[in-house]
Amino acid sequence: MRTETREHECWHCSRRTGLALVCLHCEAPQPLPPAADLFAVLGLPRRLVVDPADLERRYHDASRAVHPDRHQSTDQRGRALSLSASAAVNRAYRTLREPLGRGRYWLELHGSPLGERNNRVPPAVAALVFETQEQLEALRDSRGAAAERRTIGTVRDELEERLRGLTAELEARYATWDAANPGAAEVLGELKQRLSEIAYLSTLLDDVEQALAGPEHA
Amino acid sequence: MMDRVVGIDLGTTNSLVAVLDDDGPRVLPDPETGARLLPSAVAFLPGDEVRVGQTARALAGERPFDTILSVKRFMGLGLEHASDEDRRRYRFAEGSQGALRFVVAGREVTAPEVSAYVLRELKRWAEGSLGGPVSKAVITVPAYFNDSQRQATKDAGRLAGLEVLRLVNEPTAASLAYGLNERAEGTIAVYDLGGGTFDISLLKLRGGVFEVLATNGDTRLGGDDLDARLMDLLLAELPEALRAHPQIRAQVLAMAERAKRTLTDAPRTEVELTTPDGRRVQRVIARDEFEALVKELVERTGRPCRQALKDAGLQPTDIEEVVAVGGSTRVPLVRRYMEELFGRPPLVRIDPDEVVALGAGIQAGILTGGRRDMLLLDVIPLSLGIETMGGVFTRIIDRNVTIPVSHTEHFTTAVDNQTSVDVHVLQGERELAADNRSLARFSIPIEPLPAGVPRLECTFLIDANGILCVTATDLRSSRERTVEVKPSYGLTDEEIERMLEESFDHAEDDIQQRQLREARVDADTILHATRTSLARHAGRLEPGEGDRIHAAVAALAAAREGEDHIRIRELYDQLSTLTEPFAQRIMDSALQEALVSRPLEEL
Repeated sequence: MRTETREHECWHCSRRTGLALVCLHCEAPQPLPPAADLFAVLGLPRRLVVDPADLERRYHDASRAVHPDRHQSTDQRGRALSLSASAAVNRAYRTLREPLGRGRYWLELHGSPLGERNNRVPPAVAALVFETQEQLEALRDSRGAAAERRTIGTVRDELEERLRGLTAELEARYATWDAANPGAAEVLGELKQRLSEIAYLSTLLDDVEQALAGPEHA
Repeated sequence: MMDRVVGIDLGTTNSLVAVLDDDGPRVLPDPETGARLLPSAVAFLPGDEVRVGQTARALAGERPFDTILSVKRFMGLGLEHASDEDRRRYRFAEGSQGALRFVVAGREVTAPEVSAYVLRELKRWAEGSLGGPVSKAVITVPAYFNDSQRQATKDAGRLAGLEVLRLVNEPTAASLAYGLNERAEGTIAVYDLGGGTFDISLLKLRGGVFEVLATNGDTRLGGDDLDARLMDLLLAELPEALRAHPQIRAQVLAMAERAKRTLTDAPRTEVELTTPDGRRVQRVIARDEFEALVKELVERTGRPCRQALKDAGLQPTDIEEVVAVGGSTRVPLVRRYMEELFGRPPLVRIDPDEVVALGAGIQAGILTGGRRDMLLLDVIPLSLGIETMGGVFTRIIDRNVTIPVSHTEHFTTAVDNQTSVDVHVLQGERELAADNRSLARFSIPIEPLPAGVPRLECTFLIDANGILCVTATDLRSSRERTVEVKPSYGLTDEEIERMLEESFDHAEDDIQQRQLREARVDADTILHATRTSLARHAGRLEPGEGDRIHAAVAALAAAREGEDHIRIRELYDQLSTLTEPFAQRIMDSALQEALVSRPLEEL
């Protein structure tokens, strides 16, 4: 119990303080507990659904509390803690604000990360992937001819539409999963599958955009 | 009284200093002349004499190599980054590694040292205006400055005796000034076209929080480039043999700059050049012609704007206000192009020359607790990464991520008994390390062990200034390891210490004394030059001119022996004005002799 108490004691003014980012009494930034996840950094419950307005409000409040601009005149330790706490707050906001980033982080948090490169084409998007790759090849062969560029332009619009749809579907699933057990193995499995489909199409969209940014053939 | 923290806009063309008062930010002028803009010009004279500001700029025509006009363009760069035009314009120490060095009046100086002269002068202005010492500052930098350029700016501050509490991005600083003034909320774009750099920043303003969503830019695009195009146009009117002449180029450049300003309000302007053989060449420039000449440059700001919008996930229609910053946004073509990009006319309610300094003053106030309602959340402009196997650039921190940001990377060894791990850090968006800008090499010592056994944890932290700091821990011993930094184009701590010691040796104990000494040196220079010219070129004097000059020489020579530096300056100016036509006649004839005469094309 003693160690527990010490964790809640401010390093700066030695008074008891809560689990807040800064001391309730002297406003000195506190070291983050080693087990703090990114939800905890912003004081959020571990849930897949996050209200964007609430997240932003928490982000701004946390930034006002820990940002180095607020701790300019404190001692070296205070400044160092402000810097690391501020970096953690920024990372939490960056990771949690988009449903995809949040999903990826959810997998990491549950010890089952998505993995960097997955070369197997997810079956659900296979048809679209192969079709797009053929058209990209046609564009390359024609060295950027106008007709092929138009086709690829349409493909880009389709890909964007599909990605928006998939992301919306995923967000709808978040609500369902939260209501049941979002840490369950089957939830993690489905989340991983959906995220890898989206990741695959995103990479493909990047390729398409790069091809479109390439030289135009008269 | 507590030390005031000032905000400094260290610009390519002009620099300013501001402070936050209870009723808002204000620019601090030169206490002697009342000038608000300090030309960022530094002239080096023989005998360790240095001129800053207006007097330095005036020397550019006469001493083009020793007068550095746009030092900001060289901050944090190496010799290999100097362009052909840079090499025509200045002399550099060849073969030097690391930070680029100018050769001026027989000595070598780095860009941070040159900038430090500008900062020292602004410090003097601020101390004079505030009536107390100033030792802390917020300095602005282009948002698109990389780590080396930021570090160089911080070094300049240190060399000038200023503790740099924060580097703030110029467009962000401008948004602070607007936000405070207009109580603005919503999504805004700040388009900042200065003397030498271009930045675009997109921000969300909400409840006093200024959150940068994305930034982009070009650190080598600005009003200087517009001037250079006009200069080329005017040089084409002169005989070819004259065009490469450094002094003539400097004079024509100054005329080009004036013509550009005139064309902001006037549909046409006339420039008159006097050739060395005494002929006058008149050239009328219509605004249309000027616009056609610089259209391509202005449109070069489009790509960064579109990229920033894309990175922020915004459409041009999402932008609720467009703020114009930097003197070059006065050019009507630039304003029209801004409107074309964002679909709305730009806001110019605050002087585009002063808005950045005012914002820096506000940020200084925020740091000292004067404005607890406002907070800036800025981003890193360029991706940061390390060189990995095969010269590949492995990105570890993406551009447009909010700072401070940290990233942890794990390293081990590739060969047995390796005693250090070397990390090469770069910044940029290209795939290959060689195509990005090298920032530094870090060497981290480790215990000699079989390959793959050591476990090193390396943390890359980018602070609120956008500057990288690397720390390393040996995970086997949990011991923190010192990281030895070799900046690619920067100054090491030892170099800065040495420069500081040298500057202390030259430290001025008393401003009055220094001004008197400077005034005397200037007086001696002009007296010597005038007496020599009178002796050698008496034949070129007009009737009565000789007597008037002799009288002015005698008056200045007498004042020079006194203690009143202001009086010396007055008489110096009188003599200088009086001898100008005479000097022009001498120079024309000298040049004429040196040239193969060639008929001028008449207009």
